[in-house]
Amino acid sequence: MTTSLFAIVGHPNKGKSSIVSTLAQDESVTISPIPGTTIDNRYYPMIVDGETLYALVDTPGFQRARAALEWMQKQPGSSVDRANIVRMFVEEHHDDPRFAAECSLLTPILDGAGILYVIDGSRPFGEEYEAEMEILRWTGQPSLALINMIGDSDYSEEWNIALGQYFRIVRIFDAMTADFDRRIQLLLAFGQIREEWRESLQKAVRILEEEQQRRQKMSARMIAETISRMVTYTRQRRLSGDGVSNEVRDSLQQVYKRDLTAIEQQCRSDVEQIYNHTHLERHEPHVQLLDEDLFATQTWLLFGLTQQQLITTGALGGAATGGVIDLAVGGASLFLGAGIGAMIGGVSAWVTTDRIADTKILGLPLGGKQLSIGPMRNINFPYVVLGRALYHHRMIEDRTHAHRDPLELKQQPAWLQSADTEHRKRLEKIFVKLRRQETLNPDLVDALAEQIQKLMELPVAETIPPPQQDVAKGPPLPPGEG
Amino acid sequence: MTHSSLIGDLIDLNSALKSDRSTDNDEKKQRDRAIGQALQQQRNSPARQLRGWLEQVRLSAWKRDGHHAAQLYHVLCVILVFAGLATGWGLARAVLYYTGNAPINIVNALGLLVLPQILLLLFWLLSTVPNRIPLLGSLQSALRFLNPGRLTRHLTRFFPARSRQSLSLFWDDAYATALAPATRWLFSFWSQLFSVCFNIGVLLAAFYLISFSDLAFAWSTTLNIDATTFHHMLSALSWPWHTLFPDAVPSPELVEISRYYRLEEGSIGNASAASELAVQLGQWWPFLITAIICYGLIPRLLTLLISWWRFRHHLDHALPRLPGSPELLARMNSPLISTSAPQPESVVEFDAGSGDGPSESGRYALKCAVIDWSGTGVNSASVAKQLQTMGISCEEFLTAGGSRTTDQDSATIVSVCNLKPEGVAVIVKSWEPPLLEFLDFIHSMREQCNRQQPIIILLWGGRDGVDGRDLETWQLTLRQLKDPDLHIEAMGPAQ
Repeated sequence: MTTSLFAIVGHPNKGKSSIVSTLAQDESVTISPIPGTTIDNRYYPMIVDGETLYALVDTPGFQRARAALEWMQKQPGSSVDRANIVRMFVEEHHDDPRFAAECSLLTPILDGAGILYVIDGSRPFGEEYEAEMEILRWTGQPSLALINMIGDSDYSEEWNIALGQYFRIVRIFDAMTADFDRRIQLLLAFGQIREEWRESLQKAVRILEEEQQRRQKMSARMIAETISRMVTYTRQRRLSGDGVSNEVRDSLQQVYKRDLTAIEQQCRSDVEQIYNHTHLERHEPHVQLLDEDLFATQTWLLFGLTQQQLITTGALGGAATGGVIDLAVGGASLFLGAGIGAMIGGVSAWVTTDRIADTKILGLPLGGKQLSIGPMRNINFPYVVLGRALYHHRMIEDRTHAHRDPLELKQQPAWLQSADTEHRKRLEKIFVKLRRQETLNPDLVDALAEQIQKLMELPVAETIPPPQQDVAKGPPLPPGEG
Repeated sequence: MTHSSLIGDLIDLNSALKSDRSTDNDEKKQRDRAIGQALQQQRNSPARQLRGWLEQVRLSAWKRDGHHAAQLYHVLCVILVFAGLATGWGLARAVLYYTGNAPINIVNALGLLVLPQILLLLFWLLSTVPNRIPLLGSLQSALRFLNPGRLTRHLTRFFPARSRQSLSLFWDDAYATALAPATRWLFSFWSQLFSVCFNIGVLLAAFYLISFSDLAFAWSTTLNIDATTFHHMLSALSWPWHTLFPDAVPSPELVEISRYYRLEEGSIGNASAASELAVQLGQWWPFLITAIICYGLIPRLLTLLISWWRFRHHLDHALPRLPGSPELLARMNSPLISTSAPQPESVVEFDAGSGDGPSESGRYALKCAVIDWSGTGVNSASVAKQLQTMGISCEEFLTAGGSRTTDQDSATIVSVCNLKPEGVAVIVKSWEPPLLEFLDFIHSMREQCNRQQPIIILLWGGRDGVDGRDLETWQLTLRQLKDPDLHIEAMGPAQ
């Protein structure tokens, strides 16, 4: 299998480095509006387990193309000698600082690299491009022209005409907004310029597609774990007296909200890391608490028993005692013993909990009061969290590494995109279990991850609202507007 | 593998994954893929693969964490063994307490040593069956909460912080999704270990008392149960062993003679009067011992074995669920793909702060030679009009760059020099960055013509006008020339 090499060449500031950054998924590539930022060739090989499938070469832009072409044109020789003349130029000027850029960019081409000539399709064609296109034609190497749409204006028509005279294949490619499929299509197009490169590029595409699937799966798993944690998250604070001041409630609510935000933001960072976006700046409104009252005052007891648990314990103990009586009378009591026992046990525990909590042994209290916040019972909450996570994932999945602006996550997320009824029912079933605090079952997280992955694979479509919420609680809220 | 090594691996893996978060991503990918390829044969067994990984990357610090946790686990098990033995021994000594005056009530012994065990076994079964029946879930969670094995975690607070913290992973909510099932079975294992030892303690005490004292049993109840009914009940209780150990099934005669109120007062204590009866009343012990073994020890051994096996199973399953494990497995089992540049990039650092750069003076009073660089396509008449608003009158309109040759550019420079204008205005496309050949042109003009002559670079932005970023690019690039007589002006949009 022949390793293919592609030299990304062109005028300065036309997005060569952006295209390399996007295709190589490398955010370390310097993208600068200042011409001449790239001063040396930089290789970006795609290596899979030690095997190089293809390599991109980011090159400096042409700086003195007219002078270089004039030198070449002055050399004697016919059309068949042109590639040699270009070689002669490089050999003769490789130490000449005037032609450092031209020599750098022509070297990989003369070594057999395919030419990917990049222009900005949002700016008009100019006659200054002709010299460099002519030089590239002289090399005789297979080539492809990429119209990179940097700005909003569209001059692609006139560029198509101009480029068509020098290049067999012309493609439009926006390095900033190209999603994964477009990047794959471009790689496949590279294979069209030389037959023997096709195989390695197809292999590269297959591997990248598998990698994308793995990334989706891992992201789905992370999102599922995050939702499970957020939906079931609670926080307690022990109280010194009986009363609960507003300050205590506010402060606990702040801490609770901060914790939820931290859990969610950790998930965002983890997903970004999966997609190699390690230095991304993100702007996202914090998740809102959708429940009106998340607070509960409980009695805490030594060994972590809550009042409810103590009542259950009492009831079970009573039932067991009553059950012995039922057994003794051979069941003639119709299990009244167990029933009454459970009732007595439960009520006794309920009545005495506070008293137990007030008891001190060796100066240490056996219990006390605590203020508890969470979990979030609002039926919309998991949908909101899922929607935000899916939206973020979509943004990251489609975001190119050439895109250096902060990630803005302020729009209405396209969650639950094209999910069918069956799919949504399955999701709701999982959320119902989550709300019942059944997170302790890892299979539930697996099931949620599976559903999330299916949602990720759906195309973005109309938003489907979550299940009807309790009228008293108002309409479903978009994230960030609680 | 033993539990302790499984627990040690789990704790170590978690520590390793936590500390690995700060490791460079590419470094992790390379290391883990290399290990993954070496462990390719274990690809279908994630837990084994993770252990293999741990073996290869294990650091002494991680190993200590796991070691401490395993040690604490062992100590807790030993405490439970002794607590179970002591409790069983103590309870049996209390129940089988015999002074020689009044026989031991067999109903009492059964009620305390056998019946609770059957009841607790039922609870255990209820708490472990798969949760498919409505409302069973709540009952199960209550029963799990009541599991005495849970109390063991509270014992950890009496141990050093390092050991306590390492084992606390099992009851840390943050790990619940990965470890909850394993934790449930760990508590079950601890409770069953205690129960098995409790039963052994009971049996040891019973054997001790049987061997070193002369026990006599009777039965007594205020309930209206006659000897025949009681015998039926005992026969039903003895059903599991009635063929294997027929001597351990109380006979109707034994039941009949050992009813408490039938015994004459002091007859047991009076050996000469009732020595034969005393021997007969002692015949209850095989039944009691077999009942404890059958309803206490054997089921508890079975539940201990099940708990051990389930705990081990869930520990194995917990490894790939630990935070960071799925990513690690993916790194090990998927091809190592590298698309980034292996070498760091060398870029030119531009001096953005120099004050000697081109200025935007705005208003001029100059007669200038105007050069259209690289075929901007501007209309000379409309340009002249625009320049007038800036105080520049167009003396001559020339062209350079673009499709013209460098010789033609030189000729343009000669023409400008010959004209001796007060200044030179060069119209450029604002969207095309200043190339070195343009800077060469400006430099040559400066060298060949008047050195202090103002040169005004006029940025032309076409129909959209000049973009602010383009203006910035030009300013920054031309600033490198450090020419105080070089000015930049942005022209208005094309009319």
